[in-house]
Amino acid sequence: MYPEDVRYTENHEWIGEEDGLYIVGISEYAQEQLGDVTYVELPEIGRHVRQKEPVAQVESVKAAEDIYAPVTGVIVEVNEALEGEPELINLDPYGKGWCFKMDDIDTAQYRRLMNREAYEKYLKSL
Amino acid sequence: MELKKTPLFECCEKSGGRFVDFHGWYLPVQFEGIIAEHLHVRSYAGIFDCSHMGEFLIHGHDKISHFSFLTCGDFVPLPIGKCRYTAILNTDGSILDDCVGMKLDEETLFVVTNAGPLEEVSSLLCNSDVQAEDITQQIVKIDIQGPLSLDVLLQSGFDSQVAGLKYWTGGRFEWNGEEIIITRAGYTGELGYELYLPISIGADIWKQLVSHPQVKPCGLGARDTLRTEMGYPLNGQDILPGTTPLMASMDRFIDWEHDFIGKDLLLQQKNEGDYRVLTGIKTHTRQAPRHNQKIIFQDSEVGEVTSGTYGPSVGVGVGLAMLDKKVAIPGTVLQIAGRPLQVEVCNIPIYQNGTARKKVL
Repeated sequence: MYPEDVRYTENHEWIGEEDGLYIVGISEYAQEQLGDVTYVELPEIGRHVRQKEPVAQVESVKAAEDIYAPVTGVIVEVNEALEGEPELINLDPYGKGWCFKMDDIDTAQYRRLMNREAYEKYLKSL
Repeated sequence: MELKKTPLFECCEKSGGRFVDFHGWYLPVQFEGIIAEHLHVRSYAGIFDCSHMGEFLIHGHDKISHFSFLTCGDFVPLPIGKCRYTAILNTDGSILDDCVGMKLDEETLFVVTNAGPLEEVSSLLCNSDVQAEDITQQIVKIDIQGPLSLDVLLQSGFDSQVAGLKYWTGGRFEWNGEEIIITRAGYTGELGYELYLPISIGADIWKQLVSHPQVKPCGLGARDTLRTEMGYPLNGQDILPGTTPLMASMDRFIDWEHDFIGKDLLLQQKNEGDYRVLTGIKTHTRQAPRHNQKIIFQDSEVGEVTSGTYGPSVGVGVGLAMLDKKVAIPGTVLQIAGRPLQVEVCNIPIYQNGTARKKVL
């Protein structure tokens, strides 16, 4: 359910390394809480973002929630498949439902994010 | 405060419901998922536990007349078996609750109200000249909605005379020797029936209906997206303290011929004409307007979103907004404050292909 090789934020984003870039999405818990995702507003490519800055928005039938940058860095790619199929976030939050990729990130911030064990413990405290 | 549970709580839990607090009631917001349930109701049939709503009986011509004085509609001349949508008013003409009344027989009016203001409504109806009988605690209410709902009822052992009910009519029926009330009405825009059942048989009927292969249990989430696509208002959200029937776009439900509470103030509002009205809105993408967002036209605020969601059957964002009259004209394009999102004022219903009025015989 919660992959081992990515890191998590308290706002339920995940971020993981892939081919030198950092890929970001929302966690299984977040998609479950949101319910059916109906629209995703993706960030602009090339945008410099600071950690915890709202960069995207994910809408479900019930609510609209911000997605925050898990670390400081630059947005270099967005998942355009979500424009036509936002439900990919529900179906495959760690795979086809990824949101955007970052580069030039603050790796110290990245290392301080929660690992799976810490995130699962955090979920239990909610 | 501990949340109240309806007599169908165990049934809903067994059906996999995810529960939330709705006006003090612990009710299922969804089972399989809001969109799946919504689409199922539009094509097949879904059942909803609506036992949190209020039911009243008003006995006698005089009492029905007293009740009509408290509402913008007149129930005295209502034919037997007919339903009428109305609003129970405060002394200033604003809406205390919107509700439906049906003449069960010449001397009996059956009234169905919302959960939100139930205590206040009950105290008003029971302690005034209306002397209504509050039967809320004795009733389980199951709504079955969707184009196949009649087929499901007939295949589940309901009286074949149910098929004779026209849109917005109802009456007394029998189920295994027990008296029940059925109206052909609903809150989804689809062919549907509202079943008012004695508590003793509520769970049995839920189980029977939910076991039908074409039926899915549905929650408040789908109920909300279905009614929003139809432009039906929700009390406590689209209708707020101070909202009058004119503001709620209930003009055609106001019977100006009869005497009622707050009538002078409503007439004054109508004549002055300077008020906000509840209006349908839609977007042109999947992005939805959201409750409480302010609406801008030519740099000034002209209203706010009262309901907003993605409309699964129309594929765009849909909602209701309380808007200045001058912009409440279909086709007008408005800006959502602080968001890169435009909405267009549109006619109601937003979803036009509902089966609610279809001929079933």
